[in-house]
Amino acid sequence: MTFLEFVEGPLWYFAASVFLIGAAWKVVGILRLGRKSDLSIPRASASVGAIKSQFLHFVPHGGFTFRTLYHLISGYMFHIGLFALLFFAAPHVIFMQNNIVAVKWVTMPYWGFVLAAQFAFAGLILLWVRRISDPVMIKISDRDDHVGSWLTFLVMLTGCMALQESVEALRATHMLLVDLWLIYFPFSRLMHAFTFAFSRGYTGAFFGRRGIVP
Amino acid sequence: MRGNPIARLIRLFGFCALMLLAFAASSVQAQTNLRPPAASPTDGTVPGEVQGNTSDADFWRGVNHGAVGKVTIPDQKAAVLINRSGEDWRNLRSGPILLWAGILIGGSLVGVVGFGIVYGKFKLDAPRTGRVIPRFSQAERWVHWLVACLFILLGLSGLIILFGRTVLKPVIGADALAVMANASLQAHNLLGPIFVAGLAMMLMLFFKDNIYQKGDFKWAMMGGFFSRHHPPSWKYNLGEKSWYWLLAFAGTAISVSGVLLIFPAIPGNLQNLQLSQIVHVISAIALIAASLGHIYLGIWGVEGALDSMTLGYVDETWGLEHHRWWAEEEMKKDHVVEGAPDAVLAAKNAEA
Repeated sequence: MTFLEFVEGPLWYFAASVFLIGAAWKVVGILRLGRKSDLSIPRASASVGAIKSQFLHFVPHGGFTFRTLYHLISGYMFHIGLFALLFFAAPHVIFMQNNIVAVKWVTMPYWGFVLAAQFAFAGLILLWVRRISDPVMIKISDRDDHVGSWLTFLVMLTGCMALQESVEALRATHMLLVDLWLIYFPFSRLMHAFTFAFSRGYTGAFFGRRGIVP
Repeated sequence: MRGNPIARLIRLFGFCALMLLAFAASSVQAQTNLRPPAASPTDGTVPGEVQGNTSDADFWRGVNHGAVGKVTIPDQKAAVLINRSGEDWRNLRSGPILLWAGILIGGSLVGVVGFGIVYGKFKLDAPRTGRVIPRFSQAERWVHWLVACLFILLGLSGLIILFGRTVLKPVIGADALAVMANASLQAHNLLGPIFVAGLAMMLMLFFKDNIYQKGDFKWAMMGGFFSRHHPPSWKYNLGEKSWYWLLAFAGTAISVSGVLLIFPAIPGNLQNLQLSQIVHVISAIALIAASLGHIYLGIWGVEGALDSMTLGYVDETWGLEHHRWWAEEEMKKDHVVEGAPDAVLAAKNAEA
């Protein structure tokens, strides 16, 4: 068994299992925590507030637009770029077709890949730069934030380095880091990819019940 | 009608003799066609002009020097069988450029290490006051670190591409080098355009305070970086301003030539591409060599310097000792404040 076969075979299945079981465990755990019963007299529907907040929080609240402009733009650059790369880059679609869903869908052209990658890289670097140069972010960032950022960065970098698909070792390096990223995911703040919906829902329900637009 | 047998025999021999004679004559003629008279060609002309008047040696010499022929396809570049300029470019790139690049970067590294050994860390003479002056805005800090991160990634990948065959191949072997060079090229091409955008923003943001002004040369005449007594300067001293302008010119050259290399259709012909590559390498080497000094002084060499680019403010003492004229101006503006959080607000107010 070659190293590539190992990281795309046994290690991949192990990492995917850790990712799925770990993430599900964490989500279920959060849901099982429940919340204190709200004794206030409802002025509006908490459920509507929870649903509304899912969408309203995609844009900053009016008063915070300028203050959040930097990480708003860099955040969208990174996440949209990463989303496009993850689900529409041709090598990823082929890999998922072979290993996960057995269905093929549309892929990005080469120039689309390059553009998405540049947006994702610029966004991620800008977000990390904010971590090391904003006095507040410096204080609230811990090792997990930096490890998560760097691991994601290395996954993306090695993916782009393997773009030509002419060297097996580069693909194997990329896959190894993908596996490590998947294993690290459930135990880190990378979990925000799933938990953001619960966070928004909780806030939306809390304020929605009080008749406030969340 | 049958005649005398002896006469018939004589006629038969006669016929055979004629046939042999004719065959021999044609063979001689054929040999004459294959081999022209033995004579050495002079000045490309073959004596006799029997089968052309150009020697093979001159023909191939012409091809080797980029002689232009005729083609019937639209791509007229195909009319040149051997593009000699490619070999000239290769010799330049693998010879003097590689050598001087190594000398420049190595020299810079030795210089920085030597400077560090001789001068050590520049510590503050007076104690910190606790009052801080805003030095870099958030935008300046973010753009600086964005460009810095990309500069390091592009610098490392570029050095692997440039020096890989000479330095890495004997150590890691051809196969491993192929992997590294392939990966470096992909990363270099992908990250390059982000660097161009970041550099443009950075040059605009830092332009105002980097124009040379009265007093800059006084700083240099008083010893500059080599003085232990912190000569006074404006927000940026002569060395820092020179670093900015090197970055402006060399960075622009790198950006323009890099874009031409990524989109080879823009320069149009091979010579322009080769020129772009040489400009790209020379500018990059100059920047990498100079950046070693910048990195050393910014991170290790000067106490408190890193704070200015991470937190955005410096202690009043640091300002007065390293950039006295600038610090005095800032202190007159009355936004010298106590403690870090206030300094951040002060910086934001100053921007507004």
